[in-house]
Amino acid sequence: METYLSLAIAILAAPLFPGIILKVKAFFAGKKGPPLLIKYYILAKLLRKGSVYSTSTSFVFQLGPIVSFATALIVLLFFPLAGANPLLSFHGDVIVLFYLLGIGRFFTVVAALDTASPFEGMGAAREVFFSCIAEITVFAVLVVFYRLTGSLSFAEYFSGDNSISLMSDKGALLLLVIVSMFMVLLTENSRVPVDDPATHLELTMIHEVMILDHSGPDLALIELGAFYKLFFYSSFIANLIYPLSSLSGFSSWALFLGLLVLVYAAIGLTESIMARFKMNLVPQFILTSFALVFFASILTMGVFQ
Amino acid sequence: MIELVFLLPLVAGLAALALPSGMSRILLLCTALLHLQLTVMSWMGKLTPAFPQFFSASPEGLLILLVTSFIFVCISIYAFSYIEETEVENKPVFNCCMMLFLGTMSMVTLSDHPIVLWIAIEATTLVSAPLIFSHRSTEALEATWKYILICSVGIALALLGCFFITLAMELGNIDAPLTFNSLNTVAAQLDPVWLKAGFIFVVIGFGTKMGLAPMHTWLPDAHSQAPSPASALLSGALLNCAFLGIYKMDVLMNVAGLGEFSGNVLVGFGLLSMIVGAIFIIGQPDYKRMLAYSSIKNMGVIAFGVGIGGFAMYGAFLHLIHHSLIKSSLFLSAGNILLGFGTKKVQRIGGIINSLPKTFVSFFAGFVGISGLPPFGLFISEVIIIIGAFQSKRYISASLFLFGLTLVFAGAGRVFMSMSFGESVEKVQVGEKMLRLIAPYALLLASLTLCVWMPDAIYTAINQAIATIGGTIHG
Amino acid sequence: MINLTEATLVVILLSVLLSLGSTRLMALVQIMALQGVMVSLTPLLLKHNEAFSSGAIIFYQVMILIKGILIPGLLYLAVKRVAIKREIEPFVGYHASILVGLGLILVSVFITNNLRLSLASGNDIVLITAITTMASGLFLMMARRKAITQVIGYLMLENGIYLIGTALTNHTHTIYVVEFGVLLDVLVGVMIMGIILHNISRAFDDVDTTLLGRLKD
Repeated sequence: METYLSLAIAILAAPLFPGIILKVKAFFAGKKGPPLLIKYYILAKLLRKGSVYSTSTSFVFQLGPIVSFATALIVLLFFPLAGANPLLSFHGDVIVLFYLLGIGRFFTVVAALDTASPFEGMGAAREVFFSCIAEITVFAVLVVFYRLTGSLSFAEYFSGDNSISLMSDKGALLLLVIVSMFMVLLTENSRVPVDDPATHLELTMIHEVMILDHSGPDLALIELGAFYKLFFYSSFIANLIYPLSSLSGFSSWALFLGLLVLVYAAIGLTESIMARFKMNLVPQFILTSFALVFFASILTMGVFQ
Repeated sequence: MIELVFLLPLVAGLAALALPSGMSRILLLCTALLHLQLTVMSWMGKLTPAFPQFFSASPEGLLILLVTSFIFVCISIYAFSYIEETEVENKPVFNCCMMLFLGTMSMVTLSDHPIVLWIAIEATTLVSAPLIFSHRSTEALEATWKYILICSVGIALALLGCFFITLAMELGNIDAPLTFNSLNTVAAQLDPVWLKAGFIFVVIGFGTKMGLAPMHTWLPDAHSQAPSPASALLSGALLNCAFLGIYKMDVLMNVAGLGEFSGNVLVGFGLLSMIVGAIFIIGQPDYKRMLAYSSIKNMGVIAFGVGIGGFAMYGAFLHLIHHSLIKSSLFLSAGNILLGFGTKKVQRIGGIINSLPKTFVSFFAGFVGISGLPPFGLFISEVIIIIGAFQSKRYISASLFLFGLTLVFAGAGRVFMSMSFGESVEKVQVGEKMLRLIAPYALLLASLTLCVWMPDAIYTAINQAIATIGGTIHG
Repeated sequence: MINLTEATLVVILLSVLLSLGSTRLMALVQIMALQGVMVSLTPLLLKHNEAFSSGAIIFYQVMILIKGILIPGLLYLAVKRVAIKREIEPFVGYHASILVGLGLILVSVFITNNLRLSLASGNDIVLITAITTMASGLFLMMARRKAITQVIGYLMLENGIYLIGTALTNHTHTIYVVEFGVLLDVLVGVMIMGIILHNISRAFDDVDTTLLGRLKD
């Protein structure tokens, strides 16, 4: 019961949090900013509209949004939100899940290429390049987790008695993991300093340029998928900060939401105080995140045995 | 109150800042003479340390103190005239730093506590940097920057070495005061692994300061850019002080039964420095740089001699004394030439024998001395080191040593010959002056005298310094 | 609860790695300030069981002041004064620097594991952090052109040495050994003053002969 409830809350609340980012950014810019529920309004507006398809596109173009939304949703099914047991779980699910996200990205990219627009091809190339490098970091993180717990499943990482977090006895290492996961989060979700979601010039876009040709419900699905993905990464970090499974019911949810707000605010803060990198600096940024996890994994072998 | 030996120049140096440049010159001279007086008094055993846990009068320290003090008297006489004739900016600061430099170096020679020794060596870096920057030119700035940066890294590594020594004490469960004297009595209990690590780091650290290759890169720049009195002091006194730090560690290693290890390290560094120095002397276009590389080579000789041990150690100490005397004399002569011709390029200078005849005598005699020819002392010391090397059956090292000496002779000979007898491009602008000639002559004469007649006090001091670790003055 | 000592040390490692990869000098200065505070906090955390004398507490406060505020403040002034925003054309590129950092931590773990026999237990991670910090500092000095980055490298080297000192010695009779590391800060201060007073921006540069790079053989 708790599992279904938490999943429902997550699915419903995911679009709320990007509003927090906007609020933080507005605060730093000295503005009032859009209402917190802005993303719901946008989704509702998009869903009311119809879709326009270019005559030069094929079914692949229509498939892209659906697949990317579906994969993001499936990932949430496996994730122990607020320490509750996930809906589904099996040994090795982490690997499957990260590749499911990969499939979602693949279809977005294919859909972008299907439009035959030069801008979209360029964005697709960048997206694939950067997430390729980010994948190294993600798998280095999994290596660290495997060394710490000996398992390959989200359920065992974040629920149960000996879940890994900053507060556990080998927790100091996770400081490195948290920082690098935050960097991966910024990369994978097209945030500043890797990508700027607010840019208006196609040449400088990465993710946004790929979805220029989508409209109406398709665009809504893509946006919603993006919200879920961001929600997944943020809860990942939130779980790393504090072992939510040690609490129960209401208090765990309160803390979970609090931590989520913290993570989203941190994203907003980053976007407010940093400019986006030049394209050639992005690989270095991701490489740094890998190096941090690599440090952690060396330390698991050297000291924290 | 043996501490007076270094407190006096420190106080006088600070006082010089407040005085006009004329007065500070006189103060410099007075301080030098008083310092020599105090040094002689401490040789006679009239002064006792007030803080025996930090300072003590060790024979090797006193030896280097005496050399430093004597050289400083000569240099201050020279500087008395020299800085009036060159565009050294801010003369009181120059005089102040000279005296502070003397003070910190004296502190090095008297310190018995590893950390105090380290602090004193760090202080020498700080107070000598303004001396190198005296000319305020871009090149001087670069030389100073390199000097500070490279020596600072060395100093930092030496501190690490000191940490390791204290760790070796802790692991050996030794509860003795942290002084070289007391460490030597309990050396056998020290943890050998950490002691070795400490020795390596101290050699690298103080070796940077001493100019051992490959950490020597600051040395030619600093020596060529500093005003000649400062170069003479750097080469003749500072390098010895850095050597003292290494030597004290070497003694500790020997007492702890790790003499073979430390000896081999020193022989390796020594040979490398000799070869590097020799290679750069050949074809060197700048005569002050050439002298600097010669210092690197001679420091290599000293490290080599100490590393070989036995009879060669006696040679190393003789070499140290004579090198200081002759090299500072040469730097002072070079200062006269630089003042006369206004250039440091070998190619633009010639015919010193005609244009600066009195300088020629000291310059050429210095060349004869530094090349290890009789009648000067380096001849004796090098022969002793070679005999020592053969006695301890290090034939390959000895032959490399000889090879290095030959290279240096060839390289330096070319420079000295062309400068003394060749054609000159530049004209002499500033003539010779008595005050600037006394000092180089006095230094050479001292070296000559020590060859013929060595006072018993010095003889016994060297014997005491090296006898504890198997050195001998009887081949 | 979270292990504060380890967290501090991990933050130091983090700062080392970030400093190897950062291009902006201002960011580098901020990282060094963080590192300075963390380094000077470490001895306090390591010896939490021991009673501190009031002198020691004052000393550590002074350390925090120097390493966390004074030196970074001077560096900040120097960066402002020299008016360089970022380090271009380093001798070793940023990607390579980060990889070197990875190599250094591997080596330091290796060294520490080999030394474990003769060390007090629990100090392993301090030693790893210390060696990594020290070696990275040395590397930074060699890999960068700008005088100011070299000074920062030296500062890191010095932080590493201070850490090694605190990790290795137990403060039985050597209380006045490690603490003298603070004198190295004097050297750092002098170097920064040199930069501020004389506007040194580059050191050891082969390309631009008008700046520091004339003296060589």
